[in-house]
This record gives sequence, structure tokens and C-alpha cells, in this order.
Amino acid sequence: MALSTSARSGPDRSRRDLSAPWRHTDPVLLVCTLAVSLLGLIMVFSATRGPTDPPVTSFLFKQGLFMLVGVVAMVVTASIDYRKYRDWIVPIYVATMLFLALVVSALGSTSKGAQSWFAVGGFQIQPSEMSKIVLILALASLLGAWKGDIDLRRLGMALAIAGIPMILIMLQPDLGTALVFIAITVVMFLIGGVRGRYLAVLALVGLMGITGILTSNVLGQYQKDRLTVFLDSSAKLEGPAYNVKQSQAAIANGGVTGSGLFQGPQTRLRYVPEQQTDFIFTALGEQLGFVGGATLLGLFVVIVWRIWRTAKLARDLLGTLVCVGVLAMFVFQIFESVGMTMGIMPVTGIPLPFMSYGGSSTVASFVGIGLVLNVHMHRFR
Amino acid sequence: MDTDSPRLRLSILAVVVLSLFGALFARLWYLQVMVADQFQVEAAANRVRTVAEEAPRGRILDVKGRVIVDNRSSLVVTINPKDFNALVMADQDNLLLRVAEQLTRSGNPTKVVGLRAKLSDPQYNGLQPIPIAIDVPETLFQYFAERADEYPSVAVVRQSVRSYPLQPASTAAHIVGYVGRISGDELTAMQGGVTPTKPIDKPYQPDSEIGKTGVERAYETYLRGTPGIRTIEVDAKGRPVRTVSEQAPQSGDDVQLTIDIDAQRSAEDALAQQLAALQGKHQDDGTPTKAPAGSVVALDPTNGNVIAMASYPTYDPAEFVNGISQDRFDQLTKGGDQNNPLINRAIQGQYAPGSTFKLITATAALQRGMITANTSYTDTGSYTIIGCKPGAAGCETRTNSGGESNGTIALPTAVTVSSDVYFYWLGDRFFHESAQFGATGIQDTAKAFGLGQSSGIPLVGESKGLVLDAELAKKRHDDNPTAFPDGGWYAGSNVNLAIGQAQVLVTPLQLTNAYATFANHGTLYQPQVVLRVVKAKADPNDPNSVVMTTEAHAIGHVDLPPNIYDPLNAGFQGAIDNPKGTAHSAFQGFDTSAFTLAGKTGTAQVNGKADTSLFVSYGPAGSPRYVVAAVLEESGFGARAAAPVVRHLWETLSNQALTAVAPAQSGTSG
Repeated sequence: MALSTSARSGPDRSRRDLSAPWRHTDPVLLVCTLAVSLLGLIMVFSATRGPTDPPVTSFLFKQGLFMLVGVVAMVVTASIDYRKYRDWIVPIYVATMLFLALVVSALGSTSKGAQSWFAVGGFQIQPSEMSKIVLILALASLLGAWKGDIDLRRLGMALAIAGIPMILIMLQPDLGTALVFIAITVVMFLIGGVRGRYLAVLALVGLMGITGILTSNVLGQYQKDRLTVFLDSSAKLEGPAYNVKQSQAAIANGGVTGSGLFQGPQTRLRYVPEQQTDFIFTALGEQLGFVGGATLLGLFVVIVWRIWRTAKLARDLLGTLVCVGVLAMFVFQIFESVGMTMGIMPVTGIPLPFMSYGGSSTVASFVGIGLVLNVHMHRFR
Repeated sequence: MDTDSPRLRLSILAVVVLSLFGALFARLWYLQVMVADQFQVEAAANRVRTVAEEAPRGRILDVKGRVIVDNRSSLVVTINPKDFNALVMADQDNLLLRVAEQLTRSGNPTKVVGLRAKLSDPQYNGLQPIPIAIDVPETLFQYFAERADEYPSVAVVRQSVRSYPLQPASTAAHIVGYVGRISGDELTAMQGGVTPTKPIDKPYQPDSEIGKTGVERAYETYLRGTPGIRTIEVDAKGRPVRTVSEQAPQSGDDVQLTIDIDAQRSAEDALAQQLAALQGKHQDDGTPTKAPAGSVVALDPTNGNVIAMASYPTYDPAEFVNGISQDRFDQLTKGGDQNNPLINRAIQGQYAPGSTFKLITATAALQRGMITANTSYTDTGSYTIIGCKPGAAGCETRTNSGGESNGTIALPTAVTVSSDVYFYWLGDRFFHESAQFGATGIQDTAKAFGLGQSSGIPLVGESKGLVLDAELAKKRHDDNPTAFPDGGWYAGSNVNLAIGQAQVLVTPLQLTNAYATFANHGTLYQPQVVLRVVKAKADPNDPNSVVMTTEAHAIGHVDLPPNIYDPLNAGFQGAIDNPKGTAHSAFQGFDTSAFTLAGKTGTAQVNGKADTSLFVSYGPAGSPRYVVAAVLEESGFGARAAAPVVRHLWETLSNQALTAVAPAQSGTSG
């Protein structure tokens, strides 16, 4: 009712309406997000400009375009009351699952051993990125409606909702994204009120599942190598172990102040692979040093703190759950992507939010922030 | 579920998230602050390569500073066999096809079969990059450099290679020698490259060049440059990106020879022309003169410096630049010694000296008081060994080769007309009067003049020659009875020795040096080909640029007082001046009043072949500045074949008008 009244009151009145949602946005979150994005844009350029002049600028321009699309998507997402999404969640969820099924069918395209994207007019669209947001909304809708009253039947239903996209993504196979889904699900179950007992059993089943995957033939040998290489420091100097070694050497090479923007010898000479996407933190670490790396991590901490704070301030459980879902997504991606470049996490291809080159992940990350801003704006009404 | 529970759980979440970020901060601190140094060293090591860069060799100059051997830059396409063999067969074929295409396009028509043949050439040891195309254009260098990952194992390298600016390129080839890729044995021997005389570190790489023969080899330590060391940064695919540090290669020192290129050319031209003129002709007894080979030596008798040294047939050292093919090398060397152009006959060829040996026999007889300058002997044209019963083995009557009778003559005339009978008589007396004059009088004098031993010229492969005596003849027979069935020493042996036949072999250089010893009144010098070593590209006449100077090095002495020197000198001058002299006709028209010459012809018989033709001479009389000798294989009389070659060189040395080189019209065996 309140929303419809304010809509009818017209633009003039709304400007004076001190309780209008847009007046309750979170500028700290917004500024930090844009700051990380700009840093990401610079690092993408640095990682792709090539060792010689003239620099390659096509990645820079594309990433700038992705950012613009992302900001628009964020504003759109934020301006529709998040409670509305609950009403549309069933068709959105079903449509997303269909896309995920299509991408592993003959229509999808393969890159680096995984069939995870559609080629659309020169751009590659990865449905798995947006499906993370859809999963957050779907789980939040369910768990928010149940208000902590979850029996085994409801738990099974929630698991099925989370499991379907996870299985489809494992079929690509894209283990990294599947792990993000697990992180989102676990955290949302925790906050959504799933009983401790159930969580313990689920953790046990999950552990057995991972062991099973690593010892069976579901994954190719190269994927297993990538996942376990961080456990074995003596691995030979090629393949994934070589990448991790070079990445760590590059980061260490940055020292306290870094070797200077565009100057990192290890990254400029392409000793580190995929440095505009999965290994972008390496380029930053070498070129901007501990100062730059700590600044980025600090900005991420602020972003995560603002999301957590919004989760606490939310006027209902649905809003809280949306926020912790987004929080889980970001935290897991940050920890995995940054930890991998420093050798404390296994090597899986996960983009670093707002930093890594890529349209689908950039837009999905902005949409995630848009959801949090949405909850923040509507915390009073 | 109570309402506090979500708040509690949010707090748990906050703790977990903070710990995760704490771990990232800690790891970042650890890598970038605590262990950064260690990683930085590792990081630097894997992107930096050290490359040794060969320096240009020093140049080789003639006595007047004219460049005989220089350097030029050459682009060479190589294939690294180790990397190449790591490819699967299909990739190898594909690579070779593309390489052949590019080479053909750049003007070096190439087929895959040809590349395969080069790659399997046994000359290469499988470790060094194999050159597959030399002197390719700059565009190809850029093409391959930009596509290193498309052409694995292929590289284009810029090499400083030898160039031979003189025309023809073979000028002085045997003296300067040639260079080639270092062999495994040489690499082991030269490892470190430090020699006591030159404590500069010039390390060799498996693909380094090294002097193989001649001055290139003998003066390797000077000529070799000090390799540069370049540290380059490479990208992840091993492509060079930039140079980090560079210690520039230092050019080797220039070596200035004692050789005068004008004299050298004159000697080479005369020799080649005369041999060509003799081919297809016959000597007096009808034996064809094949004239396949020969040599000319010119020495400065005051210090032993070699002014010219020619050997025929010759070769083009430029063929060895960037490696010679095994086929071509076999073609050069497997035609037998007679045709092998790589042999320097001036120091490696060994010949009976014939009548040129009479210098030794006469000096031996004079020194020991067997005769004086005035001692006469009647040359009836034939000689029978003392106490010989006619018809007994080894007692056949010997004659002058022309059959002429010279009448009653003393030593100077015997030398001028080259009377064999006079010298048979001396040889015979050395045998029968050995109690008084010693059993090895002639041999001892021969050795004093430097025969039968290395002259010590600093070039590799010099032959020692041979001076046979009773003891050596017996040992030779005992060691190899099949080849030498008779180990005895007879009066006939001495008689043959006296005229330089059968019992003695000399190299052209030894013969020249023996006459140089006579010409300078008795000092035997070690022959030298290098005047001095100077800093790279420096003015040879600037004392500050001189690295090393060769000093005249006396290695022996022969006592030649006027009572010995004068009559012999008169005899040698007569050979040219006197109308009866053996070489008179060969020097007709040569202005001896302006430039007095003295000389001796020699004709040595060789079983079943035409005679070896020899001529040795010195001038100007009084204080000789040059000694010139020529030895022509299977060419006939010394006066007719060798003397005109020597005359041509004298014309050059004395700045006289050059006359055409051709066999002389007359002249006897002497």
C-alpha cells in the first residue's frame, strides 16, 4: 500500500519525501564497490596490454562496457522492492534451470575443457553466473517463508532447489562454480534456521561426496591435479603446480610497494596464466605490492561488512537471507580466487568479484550488490 | 526457533568471514614481506638467461698492414637437433616443409630432403645447433624471430664469420689456414681457454669457432676474441624480451704476418703458371712431366722471417666458413696426398734435394780439410767407386746426368756447372777416409744446416725430413725389413748422399733455411710467419698497440769462414752469371748487375716418375736480403722448371719488369 501511495504522489512530492527508499541507500557500499571495479578495470588493462607498445586495449574497453551494463543492472535490481522477486521466483528459477540444461547440451560452447557458455554475437554468456543470484533468491524465498520451521521434508525440498543447478553445473564440468553454490547453500541454511543436527549431517555427506568425486572418474585427471596441487609443495615445475609457483613468485616479487603499475616482470612476461581472469590478484600483487593487495582486501572487508550489516538491519528474514546469500557468494569467491594465487587454496577457475575480466560475472556481482542495496533501502518500509 | 538465534548465527558468520580475511592478509604479508627475497631470486632465475656471444676473431694482416683475413656478419638459420628430435615425426615434417618454403621464398632454394640430409650429417654431434642455411637475408631473420613458437627448434643467429678480401680468396691460404667449429677433443683441451702466455679467459662453447690449420690455429690464443656475456629476460615461452645486462664481446687481437702479399701473389702465380705450362710435356728421357704440385718459399736470411710461402694445389678457406659439408671435405682430402690441396707442401712435402745438397757436401769437405778451394779433380764425365771391381754389385760406373765431361776443375766450377763426378769423389772419400774425416761428416753438416729436424716454424704439421746414416739405415731395416730390404751402408750410399739422392729428404722450407744459413754466414734461424700481434683494428706501427713482437731466434750455427764461404759463393753466383752455369739460361735478361743473384739447381730422380725440379737462390750478393726456393714435383730439370718460378719472384722482389713464366729452353740436370 505504502509503495502505491508514494507512486501516486508524483516526482515533486517524492523529492521531499524523507522516507523515500532511495534516500536510504548505503553510500559506503556503493563507493567501495565502484572503487574495486575501477581498480579491476586498471588491472585488466595491465594484464592484457601486452609486453610491448602499442598496448592492447580491446579487453579494457570490453570490461568498461561490462561495468556499465553491471551498474545499470544494479540500479534496476535495487529499484524494484526485493519482496516482489518472491512472487516471480518460480518462473525465474525454472527458466534459469532450462538455460543451464541447454548450455551442457549441444547448444553450448566449450572452452578449456568445460562446456559452460553460449556464444551470442561475439560475446560469451555464462548462465551459471546469473544462476547464483537466482539460487540466492529461491532459497531466500523458501527459507524466509518457513521462518525457521524446517522439518526433513522442507529440508529435502530446499536441498533439491539447491541441488538441481549444482548438478547441471557439475556436468559442464565447472567445479569452482559448484563450490560457490555449496557455500551459498550452507550459509543460507545456517542463517535460515536449519537445525544444527541437520547441518552436521549435511557437512558429513558433503565431505564424503568430495572424497568420492576425487577418487572416482567424475573429474578429469587435470582437474584433480589442480585441486590437490596446493597440498603438495614438491610438485614438478609444470602444469597447475607451475602456475601456482609462478603466481606466488610474482606476488612475492611485488614486495611491500610493488614493481609499479604495468611493470610486473612476471605478469608482463606472461609467466602467470589467465591473469586477467582467475589470476588477476597475482597481477595486482606484483605490480602494487602489499600496499595494493591489502587495500583491495580492505575494500572487500568493508563491502562484506556493509552486506553483513544490511543482513542485520533487514526488516524481515527474507531480506536477511538475501544479504547472507550474496555475502556467502562474495566471501567464497574472494577467498578462493585470492587464496589460490597465494597457494593456500586449490586451483579452480573462479572470478574475483569486480576485478576479473568477464561480462557474466561482473553483471552478476553488480546485481548481487543491487539486491543488498535494495534490502538496505527498504529496511524501514 | 527463538528470535535470538538468527542474530547468534549472524555473529558466527561474522567470525568465520573475519578469520578467512585474516588468513588472506596473513598469507599476503608472509609472501610479500617475510619471504619476498627468496621468491624474488627464484622469479629472477626463471626469466633470465645468460647467453655467451662469440666475439669476432682478430684480423690477419700482411707485413705492410694489408688485410688478408677479415670478418663479416652472416645470418645463419639453425635447427637445434635436441629440440627438433623431441617433436613427433609429423610435426618434424611439417616444420621442415614450412622452413624450406620460407628459405626458398627468401632466395635459398631448399628442399625438405636437403634439410633432412643436413640434420643427419655425421659432422654434427647432435648437441650443437645445425646450420641449415647461411647468409640469409635480414627479412628472414625478422620472420623467424617473430614466430619462435610457430617454428620450434629453429633459430636465426648473427655470426661474425671469416672473410677473405684478397683476390683470389685462396691467396696465402696455407699460411693463414682455416677455421671451423670446435671438435669435442679440442673443447676438452681448450676448456677454460687460459694459457700461460695469455691469461685472458676466453671460454669456448660447443659451437665456438677455432683455428684448424695455419696461423689461425698457431695463434688461436691471440686471434680468438673474448666472448661477450649477455643476460636476457625471456617470457614464459622462452622468447627474448629485453637485455638486462651486457658485457660486450671483445674482438681478438690482429696478427701481422711477415708475409708480403705482393711477393706471395707473385710466388703463387708463377708456381701455378709454370706447373700448368709443364703439364702434358715430357722431360728429356721421355717421361711425362705431370707437374701436379709444388711449392715456393722466400725467407729473409737476416732473421728467418718468411716473406712468401706458396703451395700448389691450393684451396679456398672461405669454403670452411659456417662449416664445410662432409662430402666437400672428402672431395678435397680423399684424392690422395698428391692432390690434397689442404697440404702445405712447403712444410709438409719431403723431397730428395738433388744437387742443391752439394752446399752441404762441399761445406763438410772444406770444414774438415778434405779439400781447399783450389783442390782440383779431373771430371771425365764418369766415376767409379774406389777399389771397386768392375761388375760387382753397387759398383756400376756413375756418370754426370748430361753425360758431359767438365775437365780438371776446382770447387767453384764444380758448383757452377754442378759436376756430379766431383761430388761423387767427395762422397766416396768420406766413406774410405772415415777414420780421418769421420763416418758421418756429411750428415753432421746437414744437421748443422737444419736438415733432418723440424725448422720450428710455428705452424702445425711440419715434416722433419730425413738424413740417413749407417746407424739409421740399419735401424730402419730392422724396424721394417719389407720396406727396407737392405740395411747396409756402402760406399755407394755415401756417393748418392753427396749429390742429395736417395739418402736424404728435405722440405722446401728446410732447403730454403739451409741456404739462408749460408747466405747470412752461418746463423740458423727459426723461421717465423708472424711479425707481431697488435690490438684489434689498431695501427700496427703504433708501439702502444703492440701486444707481442716476434724476435729473431737463432737455433744453430755453422762455421763459415771466408775460405769456405767465398769459393762456394763464387760457385753459386757462377751458376747464374757464368754462361756455363746451370741456371744461366733461366736468368737471361735478368739484370744481375743491379741485383746480384747466386743459386743452385737440383734435379732429383724419382722412381718411375719425372724428376723433382728444385732451385734455390739468394741475393743480392754481399748482404743477401732474400733466399728464394722452388720445388716442383714431376717437372724435370731444376734449371728448366723451378728456376723460372724463382726468377719471377726475384723480379718482384727486386722491382724488375716481370717476364712471363715458362720452362727455360736449356739447362742440365745439375
